Amino acid sequence: MSIPAALLKKLVQIPIFQGLTVPEAAEFFEVALEQTVEPGRALFREGDEGDALFVILSGTVAVTKRDVELATLSTHAVLGEMSLVSPGDARSATAVAKTEVTVLKVPSKRVQKLIKGEHLAALKVVVNLAQVMAQRLAAINERLVGADLRTRGGDSKRAELADFAGILNRWSF
Amino acid sequence: MTSAEAASWYFKKAARIMDVGERIETLLATPLRSVSVQVSIELDNGEIGTFKGYRVQHDNARGPMKGGLRFHPEVSDDEVLGLASLMTWKTAVVNLPYGGAKGGIQCDPSNLSVKELERLTRKFVDQIHDVIGPTRDIPGPDMNTNPQVMAWIMDQYSRHHGHSPAVVTGKPVDLYGSRGREAATARGLLYVCREILRDVQRPMQGTRFAIQGFGNVGSHAARLFHEDGGSIVAVSDVHGGVMNPAGLDVPALFDYVKRNGTVGGFPGGTPCRNEDVLMADCDVLVPAAIGGVISRELAAEVRARIVLEGANGPSTPEADEVFEQRGVLVVPDILANAGGVTVSYFEWVQNMQHVSWDEARVNGELERVMKDAYERVGQISRTRRLPLRTSAYVLAIGRVGKATVLRGI
Repeated sequence: MSIPAALLKKLVQIPIFQGLTVPEAAEFFEVALEQTVEPGRALFREGDEGDALFVILSGTVAVTKRDVELATLSTHAVLGEMSLVSPGDARSATAVAKTEVTVLKVPSKRVQKLIKGEHLAALKVVVNLAQVMAQRLAAINERLVGADLRTRGGDSKRAELADFAGILNRWSF
Repeated sequence: MTSAEAASWYFKKAARIMDVGERIETLLATPLRSVSVQVSIELDNGEIGTFKGYRVQHDNARGPMKGGLRFHPEVSDDEVLGLASLMTWKTAVVNLPYGGAKGGIQCDPSNLSVKELERLTRKFVDQIHDVIGPTRDIPGPDMNTNPQVMAWIMDQYSRHHGHSPAVVTGKPVDLYGSRGREAATARGLLYVCREILRDVQRPMQGTRFAIQGFGNVGSHAARLFHEDGGSIVAVSDVHGGVMNPAGLDVPALFDYVKRNGTVGGFPGGTPCRNEDVLMADCDVLVPAAIGGVISRELAAEVRARIVLEGANGPSTPEADEVFEQRGVLVVPDILANAGGVTVSYFEWVQNMQHVSWDEARVNGELERVMKDAYERVGQISRTRRLPLRTSAYVLAIGRVGKATVLRGI
């Protein structure tokens, strides 16, 4: 679909689309689909195969994990961005529409194709995404310390406690 | 949703925001011990009455467990468990060296004589004395239990274990109770309120308060906020309410309540319903009656910019979400009303040391504890951009978690 320039200008302010020019954004979102989701329906569920990224255009979406709501996202929030670089991986949380929601859906296959064709827009998005992932990786490294204990000693209790202690340190109590 | 269910929901939310693993989450939520007993006593008419009694000890990583004992027809093991965990988080937020517990006897105290209540209390102590104690689990007053009931608990426990005033708190001032205990919860609200008003750069002088509930918490809160320069624009109790946008004459209101037993019909304002107080035009709303009074619909109508939770669980989780969206600052129960358990702790400290503090010392120490707790919760709220309630649970989980990890399992 072709996206109005006014919306594209807003989209390039979202962190993972930062640095894209309006024409680049137009190219990136060229095959994006606008979808309307009724309240109570899921965009995707924990464990589903991740095949697209979503940008919320209007309405609010609840992100839940094991039935507990973790966050409420609204206009211009991005969901499922990991699927761009690792298509097919399982979704780590569930996203359910709280109100009627309009989203822009970008299939990850399309992005893969753009990356292969060395399109600047897609490469910029991947660089942005890499920054987000670097931050998450730092957190995961700490958890790995716990996992390492587990494999060496087979001491899962100690590992679990070390993992928890890592969380408490990150939250700096 | 009961306030106990709401508490466990808020706990789960904070635990998952912190990304605590499933097994650790289960470990933190599961009680250490849950005792249920059948309490049989002789009723005044010679018949045998049997009542269900519960004591749930939730977590002792941070110290002996602490929590109220309630007499109520709807007491159940699930509810008591939820409230026991609430005590674990509350004592952790204000950094008392305690864990959490709760107990109750399923009975309707309005149908029992004083003698029957005494027999019931003493028999219950006989049945649980092995699991409570000054360094194990310290009961305190709760719904329908008062200083007299606490005195009976102290006496009965002491028959088994020797003189032990520190086994229970909320005792009469003449029997090892602490000065300042009665107004402690309201005074804690005052200290927290001063801090939050400073944060939003608003003077206490002229700040308008609406207070729902005129029992131990609400009435003392009205008096203390009034003495501190606030204006009390609406109050209510179970029988009725009264509002006056220009501010109620608080000393005259107390005289009226002394004579009539209710705020309803007080001539210094216009009569109103209990719900009207929640929607009154004011700056600070203090729900200090019972849990679950503010629904999602009502939250949209609240006109206060600050809600100070004097009661346990007055806002439902749905209402809490509405407040968050509307930018209403909610000071959560586990922080706001922790003044009560804090002075209970001071009572226990005095009993353990065989000393008695004057009221100025009690109030001064309380102010320090409440200020510190507010400061720490506010810090998490600012740096993590979380509402005060989630921040308070995060702080509590952090403190209980650290103790658990350091001790080992």
